[in-house]
Amino acid sequence: MTEKHKPAPMVDEVSDFEVLEMAVRELAIEKGLFSAEDHRRWTEYVHTLGPLPAARLVAKAWLDPEYKKLAVRDGVKASLAVGVDWINGMPTNFGTPSDYCNLRVLEDTPKLKHVVVCTLCSCYPRPILGQSPEWYRTPNYRRRLVRWPRQVLAEFGLQLPADVEVRVADSNQKTRYIVLPVRPAGTEGWTEEQLAAIVTRDCLIGVAVPKPGVTANAKRPVHPAVHPIHHGH
Amino acid sequence: MTTKGKKDHSTATTWREPELSPISLLEAIRRHGRVWGDLAAQYGVTNPDPPWKVNLEATCDALSAEACALPLLERRAEEDELSASLYRDVPYPERQLLALAHSMIRRGLVDEEELGRRMKEVYRRLTSV
Amino acid sequence: MSTSKHDRTHHAKKATGKGDPQCFKGEAGPAKFKVGDRVRIRDLPDIFYTRCQMYTRGAAGTVTALVYESPAAEDEAWDNTDKPEWFYSVKFMQKELWPEYSDTYANDSVETEFSERWLEKA
Repeated sequence: MTEKHKPAPMVDEVSDFEVLEMAVRELAIEKGLFSAEDHRRWTEYVHTLGPLPAARLVAKAWLDPEYKKLAVRDGVKASLAVGVDWINGMPTNFGTPSDYCNLRVLEDTPKLKHVVVCTLCSCYPRPILGQSPEWYRTPNYRRRLVRWPRQVLAEFGLQLPADVEVRVADSNQKTRYIVLPVRPAGTEGWTEEQLAAIVTRDCLIGVAVPKPGVTANAKRPVHPAVHPIHHGH
Repeated sequence: MTTKGKKDHSTATTWREPELSPISLLEAIRRHGRVWGDLAAQYGVTNPDPPWKVNLEATCDALSAEACALPLLERRAEEDELSASLYRDVPYPERQLLALAHSMIRRGLVDEEELGRRMKEVYRRLTSV
Repeated sequence: MSTSKHDRTHHAKKATGKGDPQCFKGEAGPAKFKVGDRVRIRDLPDIFYTRCQMYTRGAAGTVTALVYESPAAEDEAWDNTDKPEWFYSVKFMQKELWPEYSDTYANDSVETEFSERWLEKA
């Protein structure tokens, strides 16, 4: 680890929430709801998750038509090529109880735009895409996307022509979805790495489309400020 | 069971209504606990999430695994209800943590008093030099 | 051995190395529906644990894929995993689900999954 001249800032106090989390966990372990070992394995697993493998899957599919066919036909098998083993790479060796082992890759076309939701509880393809963002988990998104998809997409800055089919995929059972967006113009001759960089998490959920030069998710104001500065503690 | 306004069908379930009455211990935390947004701002920390968020996610996973003490759908449905009522002014992930504790207490998985005692002990441990 | 109602150790033995839902492959018997069939979602009485969304009840759609075999979620929650069913991906036109959905967007759709018990011929 490199020497730093200044230590990184850290929060130097213990919050009630930090204490609550630990107390709940300790009691749960003592009561046998799960073991300390289980919890450690889950914590390690959660730490490994992120959106890069899914972005790379899309980039590979754009570059290789045969891989794209595989991805659409068998998402679990295609995931292996980006280092994600939905079956054996999980803490349980048969998939996790909330993610299962049935990834489906939804291929967009110029006339078909997919967008993903889980209306019931916000299921998400964690093994290949990481933890879901807060907005994805809210009843606001889950309730509205399935019924007013174009309004919700417009709020994300995405507007689509009327003749394009906007298809909402609701992952209410064991399948988990990622979207394979249309490869944008202006990316001719790009490497897999360059292509993966513009496939953001929001593109993989379907609420954004990849654009050359855009490598971050748009900032989302999900929650109004609830602890304004004048609250002194 | 109290009557409610017409539910939006998109996320509706037909399960029993969760117990939404406040729990004193959790109300005290809700009112006085310092949320990550405030702490990070005060200390100049740029992490968007508190360090305990990963532990919370792992706890939720572990609870829905093997012994399945608190199934995913039930926990999430209650989290939705609580997030829209008692804990609506609490940011995420503090809100998810309070909802989890609430569900566990109401199910008898942990006892409110014992949780309060354990919190005092944990606090002592974390702040002892 | 755990005495919890939701003891998953049996499931773990069956599914390890194979995956879930892969471990149920071949157990559901012949599928009642095929790709292209028009189906309607039945409004069965729920007890708990249904994963069949309220907004689809009574709506008609088209089977787009036979996705896997698995115990129905309603059974699986109680560890009744003896009778896996076929699961289908069904596509609904938005104007079929929501009467007020704008005619301007006549192609818009929703795709979601159902276990066989929830479907009848439309």
